[in-house]
Amino acid sequence: MLIRLFSMIFLFLCFAASSFAQGPDPKPLLNQLADANFSQAETLVGQIATIGDPRVVPALEAFAEGDLYFRKSDKAVFLAKAAGSQLELIDPVTGESAGQVAKGAVTKIRVNNNLRRAIRAALGGLTLMSPDRGVRLSAADSILRSPSAEALELVEAALAKETDAEVKARMEEARAVSLLSSDRSVDEKRAAIETISSLGGREAMRIFSTVSSSIDESLKPEVDKAIAKIQGQLQIWDLAQNVWYGMSLGSVLLLAAIGLAITFGVMGIINMAHGEMVMLGAYSTFMVQDVIRDNAPYLFDWSLAIALPVAFLVTGLVGFVIERGVIRFLYGRPLETLLATWGVSLILQQAIRTIFGPTNQEVGNPSWMSGSFPLGGMTITYNRMWIIVFSLTIFFTLLFVMKKTAYGLNMRAVTQNRRMASSMGIRTPWVDALTFALGSGIAGIAGVALSQIDNVSPNLGQSYIIDSFMVVVFGGVGNLWGTLVGALSLGILNKFLEPSVGAVLGKILVLVLIILFIQKRPRGLFALKGRAVEA
Amino acid sequence: MNFRMKLGGALLAAALSTTAFHGAFAADDTIKIGVLHSLSGTMAISETTLKDAMLMLIEEQNKKGGVLGKKLEAVVVDPASDWPLFAEKARQLISQDKVAAVFGCWTSSSRKSVLPVFEELNSILFYPVQYEGEESSRNIFYTGAAPNQQAIPAVDYLAATEGVERWVLAGTDYVYPQTTNKILKAYLMSKGVKEEDIMVNYTPFGHSDWQTIVSDIKKFGSAGKKTAVVSTINGDANVPFYKELGNQGIKAEDIPVVAFSVGEEELAGLDTKPLVGHLAAWNYFQSVDAPVNAEFIKTWHAYTKNDKRVTNDPMEAAYIGFNAWVKAVEAAGTTDTDAVLDSIIGVAVPNLSGGTSTVMPNHHITKPVLIGEIQADGQFDIVQETPAVVGDEWSDYLPDSKDLISDWRKPMSCGNFNVATGKCGGKGS
Amino acid sequence: MISGFILRALEGKIVIAAGILLAVAMLVPALNLLTPPDSAFHIPTYVMALMGKYLCYALLALALDLVWGYCGILSLGHGAFFALGGYAMGMYLMRQIGSRGTYGNPDLPDFMVFLNWKELPWFWYGFDMFPFAMLMVLVVPGLLAFFFGWFAFRSRVNGVYLSIITQAMTYALMLAFFRNDMGFGGNNGLTDFKDILGFQVQAGGTRAVLFAMSAIMLALCLIVASAITRSKFGKVLVGVRDAESRVRFLGFRVENIKLFTFVVSAMFAGIAGALFVPQVGIINPGEFAPANSIEVVVWTAVGGRGTLIGPIIGAILVNAGKSYFTGAFPEFWLFALGGLFIAVTLFLPKGIVGTIQHGWNARKALKAAAEAEKGRDAGTPPVTQQVQAAE
Repeated sequence: MLIRLFSMIFLFLCFAASSFAQGPDPKPLLNQLADANFSQAETLVGQIATIGDPRVVPALEAFAEGDLYFRKSDKAVFLAKAAGSQLELIDPVTGESAGQVAKGAVTKIRVNNNLRRAIRAALGGLTLMSPDRGVRLSAADSILRSPSAEALELVEAALAKETDAEVKARMEEARAVSLLSSDRSVDEKRAAIETISSLGGREAMRIFSTVSSSIDESLKPEVDKAIAKIQGQLQIWDLAQNVWYGMSLGSVLLLAAIGLAITFGVMGIINMAHGEMVMLGAYSTFMVQDVIRDNAPYLFDWSLAIALPVAFLVTGLVGFVIERGVIRFLYGRPLETLLATWGVSLILQQAIRTIFGPTNQEVGNPSWMSGSFPLGGMTITYNRMWIIVFSLTIFFTLLFVMKKTAYGLNMRAVTQNRRMASSMGIRTPWVDALTFALGSGIAGIAGVALSQIDNVSPNLGQSYIIDSFMVVVFGGVGNLWGTLVGALSLGILNKFLEPSVGAVLGKILVLVLIILFIQKRPRGLFALKGRAVEA
Repeated sequence: MNFRMKLGGALLAAALSTTAFHGAFAADDTIKIGVLHSLSGTMAISETTLKDAMLMLIEEQNKKGGVLGKKLEAVVVDPASDWPLFAEKARQLISQDKVAAVFGCWTSSSRKSVLPVFEELNSILFYPVQYEGEESSRNIFYTGAAPNQQAIPAVDYLAATEGVERWVLAGTDYVYPQTTNKILKAYLMSKGVKEEDIMVNYTPFGHSDWQTIVSDIKKFGSAGKKTAVVSTINGDANVPFYKELGNQGIKAEDIPVVAFSVGEEELAGLDTKPLVGHLAAWNYFQSVDAPVNAEFIKTWHAYTKNDKRVTNDPMEAAYIGFNAWVKAVEAAGTTDTDAVLDSIIGVAVPNLSGGTSTVMPNHHITKPVLIGEIQADGQFDIVQETPAVVGDEWSDYLPDSKDLISDWRKPMSCGNFNVATGKCGGKGS
Repeated sequence: MISGFILRALEGKIVIAAGILLAVAMLVPALNLLTPPDSAFHIPTYVMALMGKYLCYALLALALDLVWGYCGILSLGHGAFFALGGYAMGMYLMRQIGSRGTYGNPDLPDFMVFLNWKELPWFWYGFDMFPFAMLMVLVVPGLLAFFFGWFAFRSRVNGVYLSIITQAMTYALMLAFFRNDMGFGGNNGLTDFKDILGFQVQAGGTRAVLFAMSAIMLALCLIVASAITRSKFGKVLVGVRDAESRVRFLGFRVENIKLFTFVVSAMFAGIAGALFVPQVGIINPGEFAPANSIEVVVWTAVGGRGTLIGPIIGAILVNAGKSYFTGAFPEFWLFALGGLFIAVTLFLPKGIVGTIQHGWNARKALKAAAEAEKGRDAGTPPVTQQVQAAE
């Protein structure tokens, strides 16, 4: 076994060395791409890969990205980079610059999904020995995703040289996967099944279901056993995944509702313009990103951090103006605030539509908000995770402001007994205006976060307003903790209903349950007690 | 008491004068054209662009001297995404403003709402959006795609080129996705796809939490067969759907998604880098390489004074419909509805993908089907183009409509002729 | 004696309003049908259809006013009752199409045929009969209101909580009716009606009759509402609105009073919906949208809640404005509408009619005070009492 491995490595090294020295030049093959259709190009990519020349890696990567062009005059293939209004051509093999040309002088070599798959497999094989650890890891990954018997020997060769534990483990898996579709002995395959089944998760499931029809009869029971075992694990993980999804949905509801918990819950204003505050927050994010894109692209990853105070100030200011201009005349007439704020919401929506146009605006995700990482058998996406963290941070900050600061004390005093508070020397109008501005500002901050997962359009607010009211009422008006518990429990309930009854019916059921729940507890989950309630 | 009577009278007068006011400006040397697209409410996001496109087309036509020597005049109204209001506004355009034809509607609900009005008042509507088929009215021209001009070629492409064997049909729960998915399911099963290899999933309008569904798709796709998603998800819900797809790491190479409601306009709100390779099927993409398209895009940018505004398929449909109407009016020498209805059938006008589109006797048009892959710049790279296909109003894959045809030429003049019974009017009674 | 006087005066107002409505019911169709199109007095069909729609909205606003203005229940879900009435009517109209649908299926509406339904769902049975459908127009909204109210009022859910759960109700119904599996045509709803009681829906005569029916039904409901609010029961109702606990302590069953009013109001809304559908030609789940119900609240507030004529005027005024502005200033009409709502809440908190009535009553009270001054010896009751009664 060991001897065989060594001889393999030797062979491979010879092969690699020789290809550097006198292997066929990949350039003619690359140039053929200019005339090839999709299926011919696929064959060509395979041929280029078998040459094994690592110098073609950049060319293949560019091909997958759609950055490979051919010159119209002589059908020579180049990589191209934008250089002002022109394109800079780069030799696909040597990487040397070949001068600049006008965009019209070259034609892009088109690529489709099949080709991308072929290129990915080819790159996997070519980059297994790369000096860069990350590249090796992704090479092993791409073999894991598109295994083939041909890749097996390459993986084994790379495995022997590998020193990094994590990369090694990944390569072991890639080897096992490739081995299953090769013609190696049953014993080796049995060992491979063992490796894959300890890998677990959806990926292993996919591999087993792919091979289960073609594998030797004698191995069938083991594959079936492994599938059953993984299925059992997955069921438990599914449960965890649902809780996670529920929390994530709950955190979105919490974000949407938390500003309302102040303007509606604490101040008693039926604030129909709340959704528009969220929307304004999202548009502030868009504006900030727009400025950053034009002036300081390197700040893009910080755009959300910059957008937070901007959104808070913008929406807080708008809230302040609304309170001073409209709502202050309506205290003590809560139902009429509904009408006035409804009017405000129509005006804000149309104003945004007039200024920015009715279409969606692009709000980008900074790199730390994109992608996902696996946690056991579940996938955690970064944006959802940060939104959960973010919403809880806002919640506890707000709680602190309300309970522990002098301003919070004033605010509670005014909302509980306006005249008494006024007699104690609190400037009630000022506190009212600040409180409404605070609620609006927090809605704006929520808009920053929601812009990461939803459309940024003039309709954004409308889609959250009803849910927000449900959350606040369900949790209990006037109680921040109620809003938290309400949002999370509605989120989780929704996500547990969704798989069994579907998204539409799930949502209807949640609404019906809220209606029934209110009959049981007419003042929500955490009802305020005392005489103030009756007022 | 007196006051109340006066008030009542004033109201009546106000209602009357509203209409009188509209009528007063009817000048004889212009031809009026109604533009019936929502400028507010949920559909404004898609429809406002079409309003702009129509105004541009009318302006361009006027530069060329108008039609029949008269200038065209656009009458724009806002039906506010409210379906009964669509019917009201249609009635207003036809009977008060006396428009020669109306260009408008987006959703099927709005079309269904105005259909009886157009038939009653005998006017013409050009409907520019892809739809579920199963309709053919004497007074409506469907210049968007019928299912066979979009859905079926897309599925064929995936099966042939990418070897897809397992299908997720995901859509928003309304009539277009339901019908399209019914047709697709019947079609796939007729091609030998097994029932367990098809997963159908519906979500509410404006659905924004896609975590569960995307992970279900992942689960469904890990059964060892090549899987693809056919998405009839409605406009607004697409952005969060694609964001979730990108974040959960579903790449086009693994599980491609082909969409019928996602065009350049929808992608404008998205970072498309993680989505490269996902597909869409339309009859037009902005990236089409044709001189007529380059010209159109240039005019559009000049008209909107914004060279970032994208063009999309419904705009092309509006373009075809408008030009067909102009040509038919010139052939008929009048804007009279009956004359135009006669002269428009068979009219061929250039489309923006470099070919021509012909108005067929079933009031649908011929168009090529393009399959495009999403690029990092928010545009589509066309990976397949079929020859022009005739829009099929009555699907061959639904049991109750496969015997129906539509032909509005005399002497048949029937929208639902049953070839099995030889009678007009469906099954007959 | 004085309360009797006021009662008579108020009833007089209602009678006049009902009279105007009846006159409109006769006059408008007559002007539409009998005068030539180029005559100065001609009312085009388009305007008549529009006015018919306003009258249906006015009836809906009246229904809301009954529970909100008189009983203090702010329902944000009245659009649901309206839509249910509309659906009941729509189902009758769909069944009347019979085999004239595009597929020629004698039993199934088109949307069921192309979604491969094989037989009519049970809840569609009976809707081919007009009397049954009309019964359902009242019963379906009434039953929903009854069960909803039964639970809600018994558990003493009130104030904003009640408003929000009525909103949840209409929102849930909207989502449900959007589902194609429900068998109500999904988002396209019910449309392309052919005839009603054998008459073509689109024919001029049918339209005229439908218009007249809307005006007459509005007049009838106005009189019924007036009878309710002017009766002893009506006084209790206002008591519930202003001081619910006190009325309860006086021994009234507040929940039953509320329930009765809520159910009557829902039935009014159902009738409005049923008249709306054949005139507009479509009913779809969009009518359940919470925003629609909020708009009804706005009409009522603009016109003046707590008066019976106010909501009618509010509904007609706001909708006429909407019709005009959506045509004249399509890009900017939302600013006007939004501005109107703010202005009304700030400057006319009692609504148009309420403000006028208030001014009128104040003037009358002044006059009465002056008269009382003159004829104190004649034994008229003290002024304060009169003013209170007038308020």
